[in-house]
Amino acid sequence: MKMSNRQFKIMAIGFISVWMAIFAALPLLLTFLLSLFKPSTTQVVVPHLTLHNYVDAFHYLYIRIFLHSMLWAVFTTVLCLVVAYPFAYAMAKMPSKYRALSLLLIMVPFWTSSLIRTYAMMTIIKAKGLLNHCLIALHIIHAPLQILYTPVAVEIGLVYTLLPFMILPLYANLEKFDWRLVEAARDLGATPWTSFSKVVLPVSMPGIVSGVLLVFLPSITLFYIPEVLGGAKSFLLGNLIKYQFLDGSNWPLGAAMSTLLLLFLLLMIGLYRLRHQRKNAGLFV
Amino acid sequence: MRVRALLLLLGALSLAKAQQVVNVYNWADYLPPKVIKLFEAQTGIHVNYATFDSNQDLFIKLKADPQAGYDVVFPSSYYIQRMAKAGLLLKLDHSQLSGMQNLNPRLLNRSFDPANEYSLPYDWGSTSIIVNDKYYDPHSIKNWTDLWQKRFRGQLLLTNDERDVFAIGLRTMGYSINEQDPEKIRQAYLKMKALLPNVKLFNSAGTQPIYLDEDATVGVIDSGDAYNIMRINPHLHFIYPHDGVNLWVDCMAISANAPHKSNAYAFVNFLLQPKIAKMISLSLGYSTPNEKAVQQMPKEDRDNPILNPPAWIFKHAEFEGDVGKATHLYLRYWELLKLSA
Amino acid sequence: MKRLWQPAYMSLVFAFLYLPIIVLVVFSFNHTTYSGLWHGFTWTWYKELFQDTDLQTIAYHSLLISTFASTVAVCIGALGAVAVFKYRFIGRQGLHALIMAMIIVPDLIIGIALLLLYHFFDLTLGFFSLLIAHITFCLPFVFVVVYGRIITLDKNLFEAARDLGAEDITIFKKIMLPLLMPAIVAAWFLSFTMSFDDVVISFFVSGPSYQILPLYIFSQVKLGVTPEINALCSMILLITCIAALAGQWFLRKKP
Repeated sequence: MKMSNRQFKIMAIGFISVWMAIFAALPLLLTFLLSLFKPSTTQVVVPHLTLHNYVDAFHYLYIRIFLHSMLWAVFTTVLCLVVAYPFAYAMAKMPSKYRALSLLLIMVPFWTSSLIRTYAMMTIIKAKGLLNHCLIALHIIHAPLQILYTPVAVEIGLVYTLLPFMILPLYANLEKFDWRLVEAARDLGATPWTSFSKVVLPVSMPGIVSGVLLVFLPSITLFYIPEVLGGAKSFLLGNLIKYQFLDGSNWPLGAAMSTLLLLFLLLMIGLYRLRHQRKNAGLFV
Repeated sequence: MRVRALLLLLGALSLAKAQQVVNVYNWADYLPPKVIKLFEAQTGIHVNYATFDSNQDLFIKLKADPQAGYDVVFPSSYYIQRMAKAGLLLKLDHSQLSGMQNLNPRLLNRSFDPANEYSLPYDWGSTSIIVNDKYYDPHSIKNWTDLWQKRFRGQLLLTNDERDVFAIGLRTMGYSINEQDPEKIRQAYLKMKALLPNVKLFNSAGTQPIYLDEDATVGVIDSGDAYNIMRINPHLHFIYPHDGVNLWVDCMAISANAPHKSNAYAFVNFLLQPKIAKMISLSLGYSTPNEKAVQQMPKEDRDNPILNPPAWIFKHAEFEGDVGKATHLYLRYWELLKLSA
Repeated sequence: MKRLWQPAYMSLVFAFLYLPIIVLVVFSFNHTTYSGLWHGFTWTWYKELFQDTDLQTIAYHSLLISTFASTVAVCIGALGAVAVFKYRFIGRQGLHALIMAMIIVPDLIIGIALLLLYHFFDLTLGFFSLLIAHITFCLPFVFVVVYGRIITLDKNLFEAARDLGAEDITIFKKIMLPLLMPAIVAAWFLSFTMSFDDVVISFFVSGPSYQILPLYIFSQVKLGVTPEINALCSMILLITCIAALAGQWFLRKKP
């Protein structure tokens, strides 16, 4: 294929730029624009610009759902972090031949369908599922635990789905860690806890932040987990936004909520970068 | 040469036209396939069967596309008036119907379709209470108001339908389940809001496995679903509340623009035959309005209070009907209710 | 003693992650419809699965979409990664930022945004709406994987080739492509798994005319646990597991 350098350059840059412009940037822009229009019951919108959708978005019931979602998201993220960190730590310190196998075993749940894994969890926690059968057989309880269709089930489902998303960034970070620094700290008289908290923990911060980012937002927006495992009390932000585009049929409101969610995400990232830059501005501590 | 080709073509076309069809639009899993086969074998009319998920879908489909070509449709009782007013249903010519005398008169000439101008009942049932005796004593639940008891905290399954759920609230306050007074509807909403702490989940499509596998131990259920699972799990009990039974009827109707009107009547008449109605009822688990069909059932089915509700329930029963302008009010409060959970 | 907690803890977490999947697969062979107990081994549910023609069509749809989407995404994405690495052009930073942003932006918002795009341009929801959406969300991952590999390559190679008078396209075909091939193949497999399993985005951009597996499973799963769904899920897990492992293998491969 004969092609000049200029032609190749245009093709290489052009394909991806045009695609991203039309199918990534434009849709997001349209979402924002839609949020500025008045909703209508007969068509999607009435051609009438307004900021009222943003006022509507702050209805007390929606705020309640938002705060509820935030609370659960924080809880899920912290729980994932607490479970994942020791795991990633242990994995990073493994001899390399086992490490590769462990990594592979984490990749499989990471890449396979989280809907199917959620369904798998359903079979375990339902009233006639494995968990209850075992607990009753061991005489720990006499009647089955009614976990399914409660917020507890959703929480279990979320942690189950998102745990690999927390493990991988933590591991990626810890794997590169120079463990001799810990030895050095111990030689200088530090206790195991101090050498961990003052040496390992700060360096693993980027990993923690990546993990948090990969877990926090999905725990609000993965609507199928509350829909499959949860009941009436598990109507989270993702479900609320989805509702605006379906039964609720208020697309502009849904667009406004989506825009606000994006702004919230930008805020979180912005705050982190601010703090990160401020730390770097001073001396390396 | 060309004339002969044209004649051949016309001949072929008329042969093709000889294949009679009827287009049926029904709920999914709501007509046993063997009934369709029997109809086709008996009349030679081919059945094109399509399904919908909700009355709203049916309404929108017929309204948006008058040439859609549906002949026989199956709306629920509370949609009949709305569809009739929108000109979507054919005024039935009772002289072309051959099985009306088989039907239970208690289910005819009701407020949702006076004189059965537009529809005939297809099947019916109630939305009542189901309870698992391993967890609660069935005799301890007698009325809808019992559901508000603290022992049911976080335990109830309610059907995912705004009419069903508000019917419960309206009943407990002595109002009609087809109430149109905005103030009374608001009161029903507040009553249901107070029930929310007891509600575990809202579900209509998957209630059978949930009650069967005991992931919910008490709540509301459609009679057909109850009939099917009670045959498998003997711990389940169906309770007709004393403070009022809520009945629904799913109906057969003919669309106003039906392209095959005589075939549509043939199909309806076929379904009115006692042995066919009996087949449908025993297969689906829903009550049949066909009295002759009930008489032909085996004794245990005839006497089953869920499949064939006893006469006494009609004293406190009310049929679900259209609420006219109040429809959007129910939907608005329904949204508020679900969001407040 | 203190080293013992590490393998013990890891085993515990692995058990947590894998037990539900194992139970799911095991019970797909269970000879019962309604109980949670083991009633004997059977192939019935798998046999039913293979006889279900509607399901076969849906599965075929999924395979078609995922294969097409991965292939197109890999072509555009790999080329794009090369372009961003190699050239300086206006909007380069912006493009790179947008691509990275698409990884962080929740699927929910991407799905909604694309739905609005299709609505705006009056595109009926069906095969193409799905395909475009799948290409769009796979692209950033392909980019990241390939770009991550390009920057590890020796820049001198390209300089040397350039000095010897080779055209850009020749450098691309004869040098870059072979070196990047493992990463490209890995990106293909990983895109395939993401596309094959996608629920959220597909939910908003699919139409009734073109059903795909994840949405079918989503509607079935809401109706309860049955062995047929277990069987179907086990099959899908097998396919995506193989694809994921293949992807990982190619990622580790040195050219």
